[in-house]
Amino acid sequence: MIQIKNLRKRYGKMEALKGLTLEIEKGTVFGFVGPNGAGKSTTMSILATLLEPTSGQAYVGGYEVTKSPKEVRKLIGYMPDFFGVYDNLTAEEYLDFYGANYDIPQAERKEIIPQLLELVNLSHKRDAYVDSLSRGMKQRLGLARCLVHNPEVLILDEPASGLDPRARIELREILKELRNMGKTIIISSHILPELAEMCDVIGIVEEGNLVAFGRVDEIYTRMQETKVLRIRLLDRFEEAMAHLQQKVNVSQVTHEGNWLVVGFTGDDQQQVELFHDLAVSGFPVAAFNEEQGDLEEIFLEITKGVGS
Amino acid sequence: MNVLKRLNNPVLFNEWKMRMRSVRSPWMLFFYLMVLGAITLFYIYVQTDGGTYYNPDNSRELFMILSILQLGMIVFVVPGLTSGSISGERERQTLSILLTTNVSATRLILGKWLASLSFMMFLVFATIPLYAIVFLYGGVSPIQVVKVFGFYVITMFAIGSVGVLLSTLIKRTGIATVVSYAVVFGYSIGTMVLVEILNQFVRYQRRAGVIGHNSNTDWIDLIYSFNPLFAILNIFEEGPATRGNRYGSSWLYKIDPYWYYCALLGLITVIFLLVAIYLIQPVRPRLFRAAKKEQ
Repeated sequence: MIQIKNLRKRYGKMEALKGLTLEIEKGTVFGFVGPNGAGKSTTMSILATLLEPTSGQAYVGGYEVTKSPKEVRKLIGYMPDFFGVYDNLTAEEYLDFYGANYDIPQAERKEIIPQLLELVNLSHKRDAYVDSLSRGMKQRLGLARCLVHNPEVLILDEPASGLDPRARIELREILKELRNMGKTIIISSHILPELAEMCDVIGIVEEGNLVAFGRVDEIYTRMQETKVLRIRLLDRFEEAMAHLQQKVNVSQVTHEGNWLVVGFTGDDQQQVELFHDLAVSGFPVAAFNEEQGDLEEIFLEITKGVGS
Repeated sequence: MNVLKRLNNPVLFNEWKMRMRSVRSPWMLFFYLMVLGAITLFYIYVQTDGGTYYNPDNSRELFMILSILQLGMIVFVVPGLTSGSISGERERQTLSILLTTNVSATRLILGKWLASLSFMMFLVFATIPLYAIVFLYGGVSPIQVVKVFGFYVITMFAIGSVGVLLSTLIKRTGIATVVSYAVVFGYSIGTMVLVEILNQFVRYQRRAGVIGHNSNTDWIDLIYSFNPLFAILNIFEEGPATRGNRYGSSWLYKIDPYWYYCALLGLITVIFLLVAIYLIQPVRPRLFRAAKKEQ
């Protein structure tokens, strides 16, 4: 559905995108993760036909964004990270205005708008002025606005930013519904766990490059398998590291202060054996600690080398 | 059918709706009528000596004063109304959304431009009762009234297009407004200064013997027809831009300068709007990109 090939964007001397290549299949919910300024918004703006790339191509539904912006605009619903609303319009009129902008006949708009308001749980605010709505409500109204022309692709730039937890949950529920409707959705965020809950596929972008790309379910399977064990020793760190690295279930050992951090893929019984073995071998073990694997770490580990 | 479809501009309808809902609009109408009405009525009061004495010759003058005053108000209000049309949308962060919809750049610019102008027209037509008072005293031909209103419309179109273009070019409304005023006043004063400079230049050349005394330099005065103030005076056959002031035999001088004014301002309107339409597109068609590749 969406293809990005070697996309570059330069602002003066600053290079926001350094040859980004990406493909998103129809019906997937794609999470775009990266720190602020990594190039997420730039990519999304290019896909939304609002920005011309310096070089490279981007296709939506087979249409090149710079060559056939009109066709692309019919396919996409775009919600920018910050957007304003008109002061003197009610929620219903707001949607009606955008519906008219998409050349939807008035009779049809009259039918669609209540359905959209229902979808985003704003039916009760139908006649309220948009500037009187809370931020979460405005965000949901913005989402309804994206859907007014029933687009196949939704491009949502940081839709959850600035929302309280309750509003986030509501937003997530709506996105789930949209995913069930078969829409292709691109969502960006700088928080991976937030996206992991709602996305099928995740791509991490840093400094204009895609550094990781993978399916979320793979990550979760890995996460359940991988534990992080922390072992505090009094001394003999190097020796202990060498000893641990020979074990079958140990994926990785690193040294942080007095602690050894061990990536462990075995079950509880094997864990008991590992500790027993350390003690028997005479290492001065002062403490053990068990942690769940960090989503981000595991993600970066399993997708190592993708996109570079 | 196509024309009707084009007129069906959601941007325009939406602007109308929002404009009439804002608290500012009735206040603007109130102050507009108050300023124009107060000055006109005060003038009538003084001229008629508090209603005791009345000279019919004065009513033509009264009409002229009212018309020039109205022109001044248009020149003053239109840049303010139009220079925020696009930049305001950008500042409110609604422009990018609008640009991703099916609204074409043409529809967007024309909608914004017409929306601001229709409010100005509303203000101007709301002053008709004032004209009615002036008419009570007689002395003005209906053709002149029609010409004056036509003059207002074309002036508004042109100033409006300047405002919209600058609003597209300049990101901030405040700066766009200041620049619009500068351009409009610069044009009004600039045309006067230009004629003066050219006349001085010709005089100097004549004295130096470079140009013969018989050579025709009347075309310089033709530039006066492009000045809003002189152009409106011309409607009342006053000022330096009138036909009667010229003696040349060329057909150029036989045309009423009113039409020169309309033609130039019409041209300005079309060009400025086309440039604005081109510039507002985030991904611009052909022309620009081809030029960029060549660099």
